[in-house]
Amino acid sequence: MAEQTLNIPQLLAVLVVGFLAIRWYFFSAPSASGQQHARHHPPGRSVNPAHVDQLTQMFPQLDRRSVMWDLQRNGGNVAATTERVLAGRGLDAPPPSFQPPTPPSRISAPGTQPSKPIHPDLITRYNLSAKILPPTPPSSSNDNPTTTTTAATSSGARGSEASWSANRNERQALLQRRRDEMILAARRKMEERDRERGKVA
Amino acid sequence: MASSLASKRLFQEYRTLTKDPPDGVTAGPVNEDDMFVWEALIEGPGGTPFEGGIFPAELKFPKDYPLMPPTMKFTCDIWHPNVYPNGVVCISILHPPGDDPNHYEQASERWSPIQSVEKILLSVMSMLAEPNDESPANVDASRMWRERRPEFERRVREDVRRGLGL
Repeated sequence: MAEQTLNIPQLLAVLVVGFLAIRWYFFSAPSASGQQHARHHPPGRSVNPAHVDQLTQMFPQLDRRSVMWDLQRNGGNVAATTERVLAGRGLDAPPPSFQPPTPPSRISAPGTQPSKPIHPDLITRYNLSAKILPPTPPSSSNDNPTTTTTAATSSGARGSEASWSANRNERQALLQRRRDEMILAARRKMEERDRERGKVA
Repeated sequence: MASSLASKRLFQEYRTLTKDPPDGVTAGPVNEDDMFVWEALIEGPGGTPFEGGIFPAELKFPKDYPLMPPTMKFTCDIWHPNVYPNGVVCISILHPPGDDPNHYEQASERWSPIQSVEKILLSVMSMLAEPNDESPANVDASRMWRERRPEFERRVREDVRRGLGL
């Protein structure tokens, strides 16, 4: 009964799934993972995203879609695409119907992109945690008290002459201080806004 | 010889940018031993989801600067239609001089020696405020910006907060 309603694609799908299941069950040795990975990008069928990344990094002015279109047409030949760009011929604009194959990872989660933070936040990066001021006590008025010292340094840095020094090391230190102050000021502002919002809510 | 000219010009730009910095921008060489690598901080423009954020970026200058433009790469998580997922910024002022083979851009918008680091940074700031939908560098971000604006803005705000360690 059920067999009669199975058409060929369904049958194939069942066979493939069954095969993979058995394979996974019996041969889930570490070596299998490499082969499975390779199966995602059979040569010539789809464009290798790594190649696209490589080319767009080399030529940031290129449109990703055109790169994919060119690679698709020349069979994934990175060298050929590179040469074409270097020769100044530029890449053809892909036809509107061209739908670049998106990497499998993106298909799996369309709403929540893999947004894993790869960069540390600025506080960690510039080692500023020691310079973060404790939050202003809610009783005091927000503007002046705790920020006087930093306000003084920032206005000093803003002053046109104080920011530039003939001494190279001093210059470097001044630049660093302006940078740190900019980050800390932004953080303070954000925290203040949070508190405002907290009061309202 | 050419590279010493480039260093000189970069040093001069550094001085101008330091003495008279435009609002919301801090920029300078990472180390004066190498004037060809700069670090810049850009403040997110007000009235946009990027508001309140600080976005660090690295600028790398070619030896024949200012004939050729630098490249600019954000070194933070930034979700924007004109920034590649790897952080590279795609705007016309960073494109080499001459006419665009695709005729998207005027020659006047592209890089030329009369432009400057300051102009680049200000252009990038206005790019943050107004993404250019015509040539997206991050297709997913572009689609989200176009079709699901609230989600786009929420995501940007989250990145902004995380960037400040909040």
